[in-house]
Amino acid sequence: MKNLIKKIHLTFTIIITKITIWLLRLLDRGGTSLPGKVALKIYPDILTELADKFRIIMITGTNGKTTTSRIAAGMLEQSGIMHVTNKSGANLVSGIATTLISSLTLTGKARVRTALLETDEAAFKRIAPKLKPEVCIVTNFFRDQLDRYGELYTTLNSVREGIIGTPETVLILNADDSLCASLGKGISNPVIYFGIAPDVYPEANLNINNDAAYCINCSTRYEYSSVTFAHLGHFKCPKCGYERPEAQVECSQVLAYDNLSSTIEIRLPEMKFSTKLALPGLYNIYNALAGASLGKYLGLDEKGLIHVLEGFECGFGRMESVNVMNREIKLILVKNPTGYNQVIKYLLTQKGHCVLALLLSDNLADGTDISWIWDVDFEILSFMKERIRAFHVSGKRAEDMAVRLKYAGIEQDNIKIEHDWNKLIDNIINDAGEQETIYVLPTYTAMLDIRKVLKNRFKLKEFWK
Amino acid sequence: MYELTICHLYPDLMNLYGDRGNIITLTKRCQWRGIEVKIIPVSLGDEFRYKDYDIIFIGGGQDYEQTILQDDLMRSKRQPIIEAVESSKVVLGICGGFQLLGKYYRTHTGSEIECIGALDLWTHGGETRLIGNLVIECDFLKGKDPQGYVVGFENHSGKTYLGEGVKPLGKVIKGFGNNGEDGFEGAIYKNTYCSYSHGSLLPKNPVLADHLITLALLNKYPDFMGLEPLSDTLEQQAHDTVIARIISE
Repeated sequence: MKNLIKKIHLTFTIIITKITIWLLRLLDRGGTSLPGKVALKIYPDILTELADKFRIIMITGTNGKTTTSRIAAGMLEQSGIMHVTNKSGANLVSGIATTLISSLTLTGKARVRTALLETDEAAFKRIAPKLKPEVCIVTNFFRDQLDRYGELYTTLNSVREGIIGTPETVLILNADDSLCASLGKGISNPVIYFGIAPDVYPEANLNINNDAAYCINCSTRYEYSSVTFAHLGHFKCPKCGYERPEAQVECSQVLAYDNLSSTIEIRLPEMKFSTKLALPGLYNIYNALAGASLGKYLGLDEKGLIHVLEGFECGFGRMESVNVMNREIKLILVKNPTGYNQVIKYLLTQKGHCVLALLLSDNLADGTDISWIWDVDFEILSFMKERIRAFHVSGKRAEDMAVRLKYAGIEQDNIKIEHDWNKLIDNIINDAGEQETIYVLPTYTAMLDIRKVLKNRFKLKEFWK
Repeated sequence: MYELTICHLYPDLMNLYGDRGNIITLTKRCQWRGIEVKIIPVSLGDEFRYKDYDIIFIGGGQDYEQTILQDDLMRSKRQPIIEAVESSKVVLGICGGFQLLGKYYRTHTGSEIECIGALDLWTHGGETRLIGNLVIECDFLKGKDPQGYVVGFENHSGKTYLGEGVKPLGKVIKGFGNNGEDGFEGAIYKNTYCSYSHGSLLPKNPVLADHLITLALLNKYPDFMGLEPLSDTLEQQAHDTVIARIISE
């Protein structure tokens, strides 16, 4: 009897949720979180019920979640595994509930048996123990939106708590990140580490604003034999001996790199191959390695892995480009100092003249505290300033960005503030010569805003791939 | 030729969200006027001789990092910091740095962490974080800025209370301030200035930055006549637009 009531309750919840999804679609509002909220209201423990219906792969961490999810999706497809996945931005409990329920039939059967879920790192501890994922990828930990997530170690410990609740889950962890790698210590879960071999990347350096310079166990300063960026590298604690674990999936060489791609050699237990990633920047090598680790776990061979890695294209807003009036506009999302520094390093590989537009907003989704822009090394831009025709700033906190650029050594007269998106677009197009590139670096909501304007204005159908 | 030496205390530990913006601002505003600046990082195990420095800066840190430096601070830097403050060195303490300059920090579970004790102030850990934009009114800046407004962003769970002889930095116009109760923010004692506005306090408040530089130069060069004005259009614009928005919210 109790079971029957439970079953009716569940079916009722699924039906109501599906109706909400249909209604939102009918109204042309692609609601990704409201249906899940409704479901959780009627059936608070819905995630536990859904867990049994799916084989679940979760991805969390500060940076690279979306790109890694997309590479992971490629790995699943290559393995012939049909799956559902949540849209970026719908990575809280409600978004995940929506995603899972939308792929159920009315009687509660899963139409697709596998779910790939990008999960917010703060929400992870509540979600993971319920969903009991088969695999969980953790990309890295950096300081990000302190006003929202609180301190870095709080975020790390929250993910750790989630993992402790899932002792069977296979963990795919970043070996070069002392914080992320520590998740694999003292637990019984199987762990696959990925990382970059020492001294393979030419522009690596040690940043003073290191998020994790001191040993997580004994507070002694780590020694590094090699650093890729921020606190990522081959660390070792001279006191307690905690050190970078051996990586089973490793980038053993960077063969070539430019502003569009990196050609790297990847070494796995039984294979070694070179592949050309159509994604620039060191941070994307990490994302590729995380994806390759999943591919390896799924049993893909060398050919399969290469096929996915080489065929991969950028996802929503992480880096998109569009041609407008013979100029290329490249849109790259920036949300925290580490990511921003990587984008600036990427700009250094740019040849020829270009125009820059830095868009800073402080809505909730961007983080209401914008002081992190002072942790970004904008000073590096002054090395290439003769190649940058103009520095445009926009967004709700455009003036703060203007001040930051001035103190980074950019001439005041070359910094232009414009709050109107349409006028900004006119200005950047005017300042760029034909065939030149315009780099637009927005925070999250600024990206949504500028995309909308670009899309309407240039009536582009197949705008974003 | 004027010259200033800035000491950045524990830059690798107390560097929460944009604190280095304060150092960048002090440096640039000196350099633009032909004043030479040296920045000396002083961290764990380093000797701290306060007489070598004209401005001493200590920023905010996360709890984990603050526990790492506790021993080193109390053992080897506490006494010279007290002497620096008493001898009217220019000291700027932000957020965690502000708390550390006080007498103690009592966590919300009741345990008490001893602090430097250079200023008569103390902090009680709260359960909720006081987060958001902050506008305060500083009387001592009114000669240079029409309203004496300083703008920043606060994010702290500690509630700080000032003892006798310590004045607040300003009166809260918008935000929480020291404790969300008494309507004041920050602290001033001799030439020591403290604020909860972590991150970029000085970039958007050039008048405050210049005030600190002036004090440091006067300490070192008694015949110093005053700073040349700079073109602060962007800084002023950032200061004014943010304040206008915050106040209207």
